[in-house]
Amino acid sequence: MENLYIAATPSSPEVNFDFAQHQLSIRGESYPENAAAFYGDIIKRLREYLASCNNICINVDIGLAYFNSSSTKMLFNIFEAFKTAVDAGNEVVLNWHHYEEDDTIFEFGQELHVDFPEITFVDRPVKAA
Amino acid sequence: MKDFGSFFEIACQQRVIFYYVGYFSQNVVAAMADAVRLQLEMSGVSGATRRKLFSSFVEMAQNIIHYSADSLTPSNQDNHELRHGSVCISEKEGQYLLQCANPIDAEVAEGLRERLQSLRSMTLDEIKRAYKDSLRAESPEGSKGAGLGFLTVARDSSEPLEFDFQPLEGHSGKVVFNLKATI
Repeated sequence: MENLYIAATPSSPEVNFDFAQHQLSIRGESYPENAAAFYGDIIKRLREYLASCNNICINVDIGLAYFNSSSTKMLFNIFEAFKTAVDAGNEVVLNWHHYEEDDTIFEFGQELHVDFPEITFVDRPVKAA
Repeated sequence: MKDFGSFFEIACQQRVIFYYVGYFSQNVVAAMADAVRLQLEMSGVSGATRRKLFSSFVEMAQNIIHYSADSLTPSNQDNHELRHGSVCISEKEGQYLLQCANPIDAEVAEGLRERLQSLRSMTLDEIKRAYKDSLRAESPEGSKGAGLGFLTVARDSSEPLEFDFQPLEGHSGKVVFNLKATI
């Protein structure tokens, strides 16, 4: 399956899905004008990849400095896709990167952790520059 | 010259940190987001408040892109839109005010009023719960986001959101929607 790479813009993140290595990362800012349009294809490709996984350990890095409300919704859909993959017998390790003092993103991570216990959640606080 | 002088003077008196009126596109919003971040960093606002202000600012600006009734792009276009409105960030007695305005069709005002009234009557805990529920629900019809925008702003505000609708001279079917958040 072909890897997926989308370069960052000022308002959308870098998406680097290395399906061959089972390494997926989303990093940067996320407030595209139309989050459903931006994430629609990404989620479609992700689901196709996840459906092809069997007994695989998938490593995910998500580090977003900011995400707007419609991106939040899309992230939630991404986690649902991961949950389905775990239910199908895979393992998903999610590294949740955020600035140490960013309570909003930290708390959102904690909620995801509670909502999706199937996903191995690793909180990764980083010090602000 | 003189008019601009008094405009500038009022802006200083009102402690305006950022003001924009004109067409909103995603590129304009991204550039404004840069300016707002820099401005807030320079003005010594704490990190947590800065993030709340920034988040509410983006939600308001993107609401204008999606919902202002003064549009240069066709109404059925849902990306690369260009619509008219205004945003303002100012400081008042140690708090930050975030305000936005844009024309809307008069018939959508009632629905907006109901949603915002119900938000105003909610406690912070209720707002957080409603946010969580909306996140897990299907997006409401007519929403270009997730129906989470107002909830996000309300969650980050220290006081209930304020709003009103003012008649728009020369446009009988339209009103100007004003929204104010205190952070």
